[in-house]
Order: sequence, then structure tokens, then C-alpha cells
Amino acid sequence: MAKKKIHIENTVRRLRFNNDEMTQEQLADLVGISRQTVVAIEKYKYTPSLELAFKIALAFNKEIQEVFFINQ
Amino acid sequence: MNIKIRNTLTEIISAAIAIIWMYSKLNAAANMSIASITQVLVQGIGISILAAIFFAIVIAIVSAIITESKEKNVVDERDNMIEFYALRLSSVIFGISLVIILALLGWFNLHINFGIIAITFSVFLASICSTFLKIYLYK
Repeated sequence: MAKKKIHIENTVRRLRFNNDEMTQEQLADLVGISRQTVVAIEKYKYTPSLELAFKIALAFNKEIQEVFFINQ
Repeated sequence: MNIKIRNTLTEIISAAIAIIWMYSKLNAAANMSIASITQVLVQGIGISILAAIFFAIVIAIVSAIITESKEKNVVDERDNMIEFYALRLSSVIFGISLVIILALLGWFNLHINFGIIAITFSVFLASICSTFLKIYLYK
């Protein structure tokens, strides 16, 4: 399989607003990370681990693929 | 400025203070005994630790007064990853510095005092470089 860099994107920002305009601080507290990490995830500057990705998806009551996906 | 960058800045300030203090005490290093040089270096390391604690407390108090809130210092997987990158960079810088210093000592037949001082300073240099990397990654 050819080594190809994949771009993982997410809908965290949109999901926050859909969840009563949840703040970054609230999401951070909910999943046990810092607000800076939420900012980095939303800007696609940091791809979370599988465990954290699941925690974020659970926080929004969504499936992981609804939150994180590959931009082809 | 967030808490991570503030903490990193205190590391840089304390390392810089220790380097300046040691540099001022080691002017006549060639004429000093190894015992007195190591005494200065150990004192310098102690000063850097005390300065880091002092500035961390002062900056936390000043920040709490300005922002009127206490920011939580949560350490998560991204922080651990940044710490790992910084540690790797500092190890590389220290390793390269050590080899260069040992090569220079042998090549130019320098006094062992210079070797001890240069190795200690390379530790601080590696620490400062790694903290700059941390600031870059935290931004």
C-alpha cells in the first residue's frame, strides 16, 4: 500500500454549536482535555488519539465517523 | 497568553538567569580549580530551579489578578506529545553538543574546566531550545 498522507477533518465546531452552543471550555471539561487542545482539533492542527476521538463523539452522542472523517 | 505558554516562558527566564549568573562567576575559569567551578555550576542549577518556582508563582498570581480567574492546568495527550518532542529535541542538541565539546577538547587540547563549563551550558542551551519548540507547538 502506497504511503499517502491522509487528512482527518472533523465536525466538532459545528456539533458544539448544535449542542446549545457548547463552549470550548465546556467540551474540554467534558472529555478531560485543555481548551487549547479543543482549539487545535477544531483547526485540524491536531488529530486526537482514537480514545479521545471516541470520548468526543460520545460527548456529542454521535458515532465516531460522524465526528471524524477523511477528506479525500 | 495561555497557562502553557506562561509556564514555558518561566522556564526560559529561569534558564537565562542561571546562564547569566554562571557566566558572570566563571570569568576567570582557566585559573579556577575544578572544585570551585563545579560549585558555581551546581549553584547555577539550583538558581535556575528556584527562579523557575519563583517566576511560576509570581506569574500565576499576576495572571490571576489581571484575568480575575484561575485557569486550570489540564495536562492531556497533546501536552504529553509536545513534551515528548521537546525532550527529543533537547536530547539531540545535548548529544551533538557533547560530541562537539569532546572533539574540541581533544583537538585543541583545551583545559578540562572548559569542558565542564561547556557541557553544563549545553544542558541549558538544550533546555532553552526545547522550551522555544514548546512555545511554537502550543501556539
